[in-house]
Amino acid sequence: MRKTKASAGLLSLALVGGLALTACGGSDGDGGGKGGEFTYWSMWRQEEPQAKVIKAAVDRYEKDSGAKVKIVWQGRDIRKKIGPAIAANQAPDLWDQGADVIFSNTVKNGQAADLSSVYDAQVPGESAKVSDVITAKYTDTLPAGPDGGKKWIVPYELVSANLYYDGADPALADAAKIATMDDLTKLCDALKSKGKACFTTEGDDGWSSSLWLDYLLAREGGGLGKIAADKSGAGWDSPAVLAAARDVEKLVKGGYFLKGYDASKLPAQETNWAQGKAAFFLNGSWVDSETATQRSPKFKFAAINFPAVKAGGPAEANAIMFGFSVPKRAKHADAAKKFIASFIKKDNLSGIATEAKNITPRDDIPAPAELADVQRILQKNPSRAMQDNIDGDYGDKVLYPAWLDLLHGKSSPEQFVAAAKKAHEAYVKATG
Amino acid sequence: MTATVPAPARTRGSRAGASRRRGTGRDPLERQQRRLFWPFAAPALLFYAVLFLAPIAYSAYISLYRWDGMGAKTWKGFGNYQTLIDDPTFHTSLKNTLTILVVGGVVTFGIAFTLTLALREMWGRMFARSALFFPCLVNAMVFGASAGFIFHPSGPVNTALRWAGVDDPPKWLSTDNSFSMITAIVIWSATGYYTTIIMAAVDQIPPYLYEAAELEGAGAWRKFWHVTLPLSWDVVSVCAVLWTVSSVKIFEIVLLFGTANTNPSVKSWTTAMYVYQSAFPQSAVPRLGLAAAAAIVSLLMVAVFTVVLRRLMRRDPIQF
Repeated sequence: MRKTKASAGLLSLALVGGLALTACGGSDGDGGGKGGEFTYWSMWRQEEPQAKVIKAAVDRYEKDSGAKVKIVWQGRDIRKKIGPAIAANQAPDLWDQGADVIFSNTVKNGQAADLSSVYDAQVPGESAKVSDVITAKYTDTLPAGPDGGKKWIVPYELVSANLYYDGADPALADAAKIATMDDLTKLCDALKSKGKACFTTEGDDGWSSSLWLDYLLAREGGGLGKIAADKSGAGWDSPAVLAAARDVEKLVKGGYFLKGYDASKLPAQETNWAQGKAAFFLNGSWVDSETATQRSPKFKFAAINFPAVKAGGPAEANAIMFGFSVPKRAKHADAAKKFIASFIKKDNLSGIATEAKNITPRDDIPAPAELADVQRILQKNPSRAMQDNIDGDYGDKVLYPAWLDLLHGKSSPEQFVAAAKKAHEAYVKATG
Repeated sequence: MTATVPAPARTRGSRAGASRRRGTGRDPLERQQRRLFWPFAAPALLFYAVLFLAPIAYSAYISLYRWDGMGAKTWKGFGNYQTLIDDPTFHTSLKNTLTILVVGGVVTFGIAFTLTLALREMWGRMFARSALFFPCLVNAMVFGASAGFIFHPSGPVNTALRWAGVDDPPKWLSTDNSFSMITAIVIWSATGYYTTIIMAAVDQIPPYLYEAAELEGAGAWRKFWHVTLPLSWDVVSVCAVLWTVSSVKIFEIVLLFGTANTNPSVKSWTTAMYVYQSAFPQSAVPRLGLAAAAAIVSLLMVAVFTVVLRRLMRRDPIQF
């Protein structure tokens, strides 16, 4: 039994050892900087264009202000490192991520600092405050933290989800005129008759594929956020849910999705779309940079807002922000906040558009040419939070299993509603 | 060689006898050994306690709390265990883990024994054994990650199937098939490992026993049943324990099956994945108390399975 116990011990160590480490506490973080020293953990890897833009801004900031910034390029795993770092009292003074990640990891549990003072600060070298230059309709979509405040992130990059297509494809010349789902399906039928798939989506990925449901539900007058927040589960009985599910079924049964969308792994379908195998692709506007090397040189990246279900119906454009956050336990929060205000100045932020090829939350900074349509959609339409910032755990356990069955044509709209409601009730019972 | 049950009576008796003799203090060597026991054993015990027992105890402690790893802990008693009972995702994870453990184990050992039978007298069996062992050298994650390419609807497998006349090949990578595919990859990568170990034990069986069995008119199956299996039983039982422990830890391949870019569907979660997703969620508040409770349940599960397996596989020692 000695060997068995050792094996069991090893297993336990592997499974739970990490949990123990989170409580071990730590020393004084970055060594206690003085005179504007602070630590910044970045979601970008050093070689990524956003990292280069931020590094250049940091270098200028250090030179101009005499501050010292210790940067750690953590990459996307930062979301898993920030919690243990805060627990061990070794939180960075500044970090960045998507608003959904910052909210669920640190805002919900009261671990994010209020950044109102940054919004009220003057942008260095400009005659405006940070709150004046960042377009409020985007930050207004943010969910409130436990203290009711929404100013827990200062965004520097704006992403939207739209239907993307090749603007140089003659068959899609009228795509920009699409306003309703009927317009869209008419075009799809025309493409189908020519043997071309209208859409594709990552059929294994609950998050990106459910943007279809997210949009259709919003267009039908519902919203995932309200449904998830209603503990009774009655939100799933809303007529808008069934209507949206029927809209999805129509697209699936209509055969508009590229064959094999339900049998591949991300990013296979994004690649298929970039190679022209399907006309439209619904996803975040990062698709532009992700597929830049896969598209033909003649391909013209274009976007349309997700159509309304009826003419004149809701037409909000999804927006999600990437930006800076300061942990409540940051030791040099003031120094970090000064840098945030400095980064928002036009000279710095323009690099996000010109170098990193993304849209900024400042409407006075033009988007790169490829994303001009996306910026126009964002500016022209009201904004809404992508997937209403629902909790990832709720998505994994409640929404995505039922959704993927509907998307794969394995369940009817009624079965989808029943399955989602049942999973919702079980989730509420289990999580309280 | 002794092919037997662990801790045979002979060994136990010997130790017990030694203990009694130590008690008398007549034997100077025994007295010396007794004096040196703790100085030698204490460092190992200390490491064991610090590295294994303390984390387990700490996990058991935090499993009684609601804790995000950052703020204050809130007492929850056995609430996290109740959550596991109520959570359909944990039921799925547990079912999947047990499926790999039991179904995967039966298939893996079934194939391993079949290969042992086939390879025992085969020319070039050392090469065959090496070839079979090869998948073990490659991390299962590699197979998991490359599955996205190999089993893509227009990937090499489906292309080959179309050449063979299959017009509508299976949807290998569909979320409904993910868990079956993961189980198949686990079996494929583990089979060579266990075949190699079992074959090493079979190599130790004196050939004259097989010759005698042949003279008695035994065929391949009877030789396996009456010679190979009984005389390699102790190794097989150790392999069964190793499989139990490793199958409960299966995690990376679930996380990376087909892609590293998306969270796996809950349909393919195992208990280890449940622990990971609770402790390090994609975008949700970490639930370390729940993760610890799930880890403790996994630990108890492997302990129970191991004890039961050891009891079921206990046999009288066979000397040869």
